[in-house]
Amino acid sequence: MAPALLLLLAVFALPMLQYAWLSTQAQTVLTELEPQPVGLAQWQRLLQDGRFWQDAFQTLRFGLCSVGLELVLGLAVALLLNQPLRGRTLLRTVSLLPWALPTTVMALGWRWIFNDPFGPINLLLAQVGLPTVSFLGDPAITWLSMVWADTWKTTPFVALLLLAGLQTIPADLYEAAALEGANRWQSLRRITLPLLSPYILIAVLFRLAQALGVFDLVQVLTAGGPAGSTESLALYAYINAMRFLDFGYSATLMLAAFLLMLLLSGGAVLLWLVSRPRWAGGQR
Amino acid sequence: MNRLLLILWSLGPMLWQLYTSFRPNATLTGNPMQGGWTLEHYQALLGGNPPFWRYLLNSGVVGLSSTLLTLVVAVPCAYGLSRLGRKTARNVNVLVAIAAAFPYVLLFLALLQLARDLHLGNNLLALSLPYTGLSLPLAILLLQASFRDIPPELEEAARLEGLGLWQRLRWVLLPLMAPAIASASLLIFLFCWNEYPIALTWLSRADLLTLAPAMARIAGASVFTVPYGGFAAATVLGSIPLIVLVLVFQRQIVSGLTQGAIKG
Amino acid sequence: MTLRRRLLGVVLASITLLLMATGVPAATIPVSVLMPASFADASAPLVREFNASHPHIRLEVTRGPLDTESVSDLAISSLLLGSSPYDLLLMDVTWTPKYVAAGWLEPLEGWLGDDAMAPLAPGADLGNAFSGHLWRFPMVASMGLLYWRTDLMAAPPRTPMELARISRELQSSGAVRWGYVWQGRQYEGLSTVYLEMLRGFGGRWIVDGSPTLDSKEAVAATRWLEGLIRQGISPPSVVTMAEPQTLQVFAAGQSAFMRNWPYAWNELNRAGSALAGKVGITTMVAEPGQPHVATQGSWGLALTKGSQHKRAAIEALQFLTSEESQTRLYEDFGYTPTRQAVFRDPKLVSAHPELPELEAALADAVLRPLTPVYAQISDLLYRELSRVFTARVSPQQGMEQLQEQTLQLRRTVGGEI
Repeated sequence: MAPALLLLLAVFALPMLQYAWLSTQAQTVLTELEPQPVGLAQWQRLLQDGRFWQDAFQTLRFGLCSVGLELVLGLAVALLLNQPLRGRTLLRTVSLLPWALPTTVMALGWRWIFNDPFGPINLLLAQVGLPTVSFLGDPAITWLSMVWADTWKTTPFVALLLLAGLQTIPADLYEAAALEGANRWQSLRRITLPLLSPYILIAVLFRLAQALGVFDLVQVLTAGGPAGSTESLALYAYINAMRFLDFGYSATLMLAAFLLMLLLSGGAVLLWLVSRPRWAGGQR
Repeated sequence: MNRLLLILWSLGPMLWQLYTSFRPNATLTGNPMQGGWTLEHYQALLGGNPPFWRYLLNSGVVGLSSTLLTLVVAVPCAYGLSRLGRKTARNVNVLVAIAAAFPYVLLFLALLQLARDLHLGNNLLALSLPYTGLSLPLAILLLQASFRDIPPELEEAARLEGLGLWQRLRWVLLPLMAPAIASASLLIFLFCWNEYPIALTWLSRADLLTLAPAMARIAGASVFTVPYGGFAAATVLGSIPLIVLVLVFQRQIVSGLTQGAIKG
Repeated sequence: MTLRRRLLGVVLASITLLLMATGVPAATIPVSVLMPASFADASAPLVREFNASHPHIRLEVTRGPLDTESVSDLAISSLLLGSSPYDLLLMDVTWTPKYVAAGWLEPLEGWLGDDAMAPLAPGADLGNAFSGHLWRFPMVASMGLLYWRTDLMAAPPRTPMELARISRELQSSGAVRWGYVWQGRQYEGLSTVYLEMLRGFGGRWIVDGSPTLDSKEAVAATRWLEGLIRQGISPPSVVTMAEPQTLQVFAAGQSAFMRNWPYAWNELNRAGSALAGKVGITTMVAEPGQPHVATQGSWGLALTKGSQHKRAAIEALQFLTSEESQTRLYEDFGYTPTRQAVFRDPKLVSAHPELPELEAALADAVLRPLTPVYAQISDLLYRELSRVFTARVSPQQGMEQLQEQTLQLRRTVGGEI
């Protein structure tokens, strides 16, 4: 047990402590990459940095939208896979594939799929006489393209989690509800969702944390453009470290992103706790 | 109908890449209805310097060594946790679960510093260290859950037979754990195979690159053309090993994912 | 038993794979160079020749990523890791101050002599030496050029107004779909495009360590570029275009003008090109009385401080930047030389009448600001311009915000840029 816990500390806790320290230092090319104490100057800079707030907003927007969409689609897929269908195993395998592929691999693929005018979607649009869509060149659209690509990749993950939850719900609950004359929608709302809510919470927490740390997808698909409209906090922190060689500020950004995530995850748990009694009541 | 939609949604983007990878670049940006088929993109990738299979090989090396190391560290830890009281284990598990969900990209800068201080850069086996750390939480959760599933009487009986701790682990518990270990290994392997930000900063030698950063590096345009066909061929080659893995081990991967949710 | 044996097999296989991956050491002095992919490909024959004529050295070129930004990321991550695997780096002109400030480079004057820069052509000598040392020796010169269609007009435009007028005429007559294509994506290329317009309108980026980006001239330059998109002279997709995409449109005969680097000349005039012999090059348009400037974008070799084989590395550097090497890079790949003697080689000039044009453009070259925080100020610039060109913000407002942001950066770094 000891080596495992030590390794966990080294990989997760030490970096956070190091960032906390580094965020009180200036370590840039101008200090010849040697750390120099600056107190809370980095945090002040963060608060005044419009780009930080813009990126925080964009990261949140991306996270909430893609997780929301993944939940809806994931639930639909889970319900479909939960039915006794012919070829269910094959279907499950096929729907799992997008999740297994490396993000950078398919991000490169999406760049070509979203191409204007040579990508398949735009070819199709042009074929039926519609104007092509600048999926990657319009700040109002590009972030949605990113949500699309992310949803494609991670919906299977959410679907499988929810499917596991569905399989724990006893069938006689549905039969009883049907006897009382509940239609499919009612039994979904009264039985499925309440009993599924712990699984939904797990999926939301896990996915939200990952989505708020989005990096691979942005870097390969858009590199943060156009007009900085898809830049995420993680990418901004990366650019600060690897391109600007501003390590103090990069650490500050990463710590800020981490705190933001804790806050949000805490919010999700709270929401669940508050809504639980209501749902538990609906169960009966 | 629904099924068809799901299949189309899942496979459509991959099929388009497959199609693109066999088409000459000129037809891709010209008239899509014309032009023949070509293998030139694959030839270019496999004949490149370093050849594309090198990245797959590197990813395989890192994936295997990290998976092994993770198991070696995680099995005893999971066993220990599973023998703790319910309450203590629960508290520890919350922390482990937080670590499992942690967006690890935020760690890259500190880990880069670590690589620099300990001279771990540009070394595939050294890369297994952070990977092991990052995949530990998930492995601990999964293995611990299945340790708990083993009836304590069984181990008790083995103890009365006079078997020591390691012997019990080796001859009684691990065989019963085989399915869980398989699931955990697959998930760890997938994670390591796909990992990007740390590989990006720990590896700078072209011949040591793993698949994920290699893809990102291929992604740039050359000065003359944008090699869409080459990109597509790279995505196809980069996907094949994983598609095979999923096809063969679908059951284990799914059970690993879902077990994590049910018991964790 | 079988499980153990299988495990052992996996371990052994892993070790074998690893040994394969690390390669075998050689007896000669290894010198490794990191180059962007295009330069690595172009210099491959030279490297073979060098290795044949220098048996005691084994020069090895690492073919970096294709685009400049990723090459820089790669170089930096290898340098940050401490023990850089590279002896020489082929560097863009804008990286040099940052690398020097980080203490990663070795001064070259001790190896090449104090007069090493004397043979360089005017313009090519910029951006290599500062703070009293020579840090980089240029291998390939590059500068922004205006490509124009000799079959569609008698003479190239010299002012922004002329360029717009000719474009509109040719567009309405149906000769071309677009007037002018340039690099409008959010990346370094946009900064190089903008610098040319900025100077052409009489503005400056940084004056005495302080930005002047909200000046009348700077706003006018931004407004002109933005107007090109709004009026349909440049395609809307110009905001996603880097060099290859602009070349694609221009080479297909769809645009009357293109802003690009010298390398495009060879590609446009190669056998089978639709535009062979129909293309001219000149410097960028400018308002009357303002200079026609070309952003200098040279690539040069620098020696890393951590190199274990400095003497051998210098030999390779001298070979790769020699007159013979530059002549061949120019003839075979269209990469502009940096040595005056190559520009003046009568045989070369008679075979390539565009060479004097290139020399003249190079002499008009201006540098982007030479500062360790260049990456930051340029990032601010192309980000904000991208906002203007995608109609997120007006030119006036955009430039005011940019000025404010650059000033804020200046405060952060403690005074001067």
